[in-house]
Amino acid sequence: MIDTRSLFGLDISEGIRKGDFKANEIYSFYYDRIKRICSGLNCFVEAYGEGLNCEGRSSLEGVPVAIKDNICIKGKRITCASKILSSHIAVYDATVVERLKKSGLVIIGTTNMDEFAFGSSTENSCYGPAKNPWDNTRVVGGSSGGSAAAVAARIVPFALGSDTGGSIRQPASLCGVVGFKPTYGRVSRFGLIAFSSSLDQIGPITTNFTDCANLLNIISGYDECDSTSVSLEVPDFTKSLQDNVEGLRVGVPKEYFGEGLDLEVREAINKVIALLKNKKAEIVDISLPTTEYAVATYYIIASSEASSNLQRFDGIKYGIRAESNGLKELYFKTRKEGFGEETKRRVLLGTYSLSSGYYDAYYMKALKVRRLIKNDFDSVFKKVDVILTPTSPTTAFKIGEKSDPLSMYLSDIYTISTNLAGLPAVSFPCGFSKENLPIGCQIIGKEFDESTLIRVGYSYQQDTDFHKKMPKE
Amino acid sequence: MNDLEIVIGLEVHTQVKTESKIFCACSTNFESPPNSNICPVCCGYPGVLPVFNGKVLRLALKICKALNCEINKDIYFERKSYFYPDLPKNYQISQYKMPLGEKGYLEILNGKKVSINRVHMEEDAGKLIHKDNYSLIDFNRTGTPLIEIVSDPDINSPQEAYDYLNSLKLLLIYIGVSDCDMEKGSLRCDANVSLRKKGATQLGTKVELKNMNTFKGVRAALDYEVKRQTIVLNKGEDVIQETRLWDTQKLKTVVMRTKSDAHDYRYFPEPDLLNFYVSDELIESVSKTIEELPLEKKRRFMEKYNIIEKEIDVLISYSWLAKFFEEIIQFYPKPKDVSNWLIGPFLEQVNNLDKGFSAVKISAENFSKIVQFFTEGKLNNLGAKKVLSLSITTNEDIDTIIEREKLVQVSGQDELLKFVEDVISSNPKAIQEYLEGKDKSIMFLVGQIMKITKGKANPQVAKDMLERRIKK
Repeated sequence: MIDTRSLFGLDISEGIRKGDFKANEIYSFYYDRIKRICSGLNCFVEAYGEGLNCEGRSSLEGVPVAIKDNICIKGKRITCASKILSSHIAVYDATVVERLKKSGLVIIGTTNMDEFAFGSSTENSCYGPAKNPWDNTRVVGGSSGGSAAAVAARIVPFALGSDTGGSIRQPASLCGVVGFKPTYGRVSRFGLIAFSSSLDQIGPITTNFTDCANLLNIISGYDECDSTSVSLEVPDFTKSLQDNVEGLRVGVPKEYFGEGLDLEVREAINKVIALLKNKKAEIVDISLPTTEYAVATYYIIASSEASSNLQRFDGIKYGIRAESNGLKELYFKTRKEGFGEETKRRVLLGTYSLSSGYYDAYYMKALKVRRLIKNDFDSVFKKVDVILTPTSPTTAFKIGEKSDPLSMYLSDIYTISTNLAGLPAVSFPCGFSKENLPIGCQIIGKEFDESTLIRVGYSYQQDTDFHKKMPKE
Repeated sequence: MNDLEIVIGLEVHTQVKTESKIFCACSTNFESPPNSNICPVCCGYPGVLPVFNGKVLRLALKICKALNCEINKDIYFERKSYFYPDLPKNYQISQYKMPLGEKGYLEILNGKKVSINRVHMEEDAGKLIHKDNYSLIDFNRTGTPLIEIVSDPDINSPQEAYDYLNSLKLLLIYIGVSDCDMEKGSLRCDANVSLRKKGATQLGTKVELKNMNTFKGVRAALDYEVKRQTIVLNKGEDVIQETRLWDTQKLKTVVMRTKSDAHDYRYFPEPDLLNFYVSDELIESVSKTIEELPLEKKRRFMEKYNIIEKEIDVLISYSWLAKFFEEIIQFYPKPKDVSNWLIGPFLEQVNNLDKGFSAVKISAENFSKIVQFFTEGKLNNLGAKKVLSLSITTNEDIDTIIEREKLVQVSGQDELLKFVEDVISSNPKAIQEYLEGKDKSIMFLVGQIMKITKGKANPQVAKDMLERRIKK
């Protein structure tokens, strides 16, 4: 039996084209892995016995790909890991899914997540928590935790996730894989079940930057169905797969290295800085003074938009409908039974901050601070090409450890600002703790400058092999 | 009552004529079977996003300009939240803080300029059909573009409200943005009404009225509400701020909800759509498409043509009719005669056509000949109407029809003499009666001449000849 765990998606596709293996062999290999290994990790919601037939051609044709359970696949159950949508069958393909199909990738199933992407641990799922392949007692991060865990465990070569405040990068960091959040507007959101419309962005989760660049080539670009997607020409990201960071100005913001950062994480990041310096990058100390307001700003804006986006889940048109006498009771009972606790918390928070009398003090104020955060980045990017930070203050924490919502919210402290500013950012593995848990490094780029992030990450991976390590089975 | 002043503001919603909906590509034809013009976007399926139909902006701008509004150039949509089954997303994409148009006015027939507070764009909701113990939803209407036109509290009587609505409707039809059919729901009206002491600067407590299905219904509901509030105030009590429904059966208003149940709509900018900028070029190009408005036209007609106001009102009630009128008089400059023929036989025949005016093909030049031939006596009334009926949908040449159908009126005494002699010799009884003073008998004899000439005789000439001949 073949074993392609250590291969890049790109190599698998090439192997299929060259006849080294057959597409259906590859599919069976991964489908079998989902069935055997995934049950312990709970990282999949559904796996398709037969891959969705895709005719197209591309550098990744024939390679199986997993999709986060909040991106619509026509004819498939798409639930956002929420009870309220547990019976919902998508009636159309998300634009990214359409593009994957046209490029010949084979959709193999949907991955576990925090309900409606509300969370940083994939514990808020109606299917139960996903488990970290490096330590089954620990979380995978979230909300795209199922996708990150599946890629880390080589259950699939790569997957798609969505990132609203770190939901691709933070789980990538905790699972030891590459998680890329493109610039807001680079990838169509059509068919992504919205959490926070002005922050959400779909992106790839891969083991390496070669697959990352190839996947980005496929999913990026203007979509007439998404008014917030941008009609800029998309560069060929594979052209940035170059081992060269000479002269690159790398900003290191002091606010990202303060209280709450694990010593082991700090040391691993310092080693990345040293490596880049060694490769003749220029390291620049910078400051992003509005960083401390990011979490508060984010939770107002994201929850406000979420409360509005989730209004459509009412038991009338799709999803579950509670038994009731009359309309009001139908709404109340459906939403009470259908939504989990964290979802209710965010809907309440958002509804409150949009209410008349509170709007100016909360939502309006948050929009103003958001502008200041963006200004901070704009001025720093006059001096540097990229910004380097830890992705998460800690390695993967224990399942059930963070029962206080606020401490959970703080685990996204390093990833949230980039969503507020709409910037591209990526997390890649840069070491392991003494407990053998992965550590992630984040690089933030200028608007629509994904290429430079790919070049930095690719260069780094030429000199290291953290991305090649696989958890024990 | 006499020391109270009536203050009315009207909110009009009008559907505008676009092929597709405001945020998706579905057809706006809502005569289709229920739920046939729907898609994931207008049904608010998970993951969908709206895409704005630019045609709506053009039509909305046209309304703004026709209502003399100031245009806000940096505009954006907002979400207005409330839960109701006919609203699939449980929010309506609308405009709140920054409407497209503001501070305009509509001049009504009595010359008053009613000030317009705002004009904004939004999406329509679906329709609920209530059955015994369940309800059905038709989403065909969901996402149909709506323009909301809100007047200031600047209207001072139910009759003035009625005039305002008629003027607004005429204007909207004129500029071609809406068919304004209240029965089809393409125009809807809510009213706010309050009373205050004459001369007071502060507004009284207002009541919102809903569920009026005709302009007359609006006027009746306002009349009722003014009387009701007058009684309340004269008793020394306070009017309660509430929304009331017009009961079209009992002809009275009934409480729907009070202020304490009022919604908090939680408006905030729609993050799925970008802010956009209305360029001067767009405003200019839309402004150019606005032709003379009905009130201007009426004034010009009254000054220029010697026609009574009632007839002018008919001529200008359809912009195509007014336009046709002015084209015809280019060929035959007798406005009074042309107007008579348009308002009379022409409209009568148009009304009998299946497709109405859209089936009319007759050119202004051809039509002018009919009026001219009638006025000059070449055709009599009957013949002219027949020529019109043969040419109205074909535009066949009038001269050709007259020749083929042998419709030229016979007015020559030499030609008519034989018929006059024949009728006199074969109708001695009628002649006897006429001589005995029964004037009507002469018309019977004229009728006989018309009959044997197959309608071609000039009846006036025939009558004169008969009278002269008998009196001899």
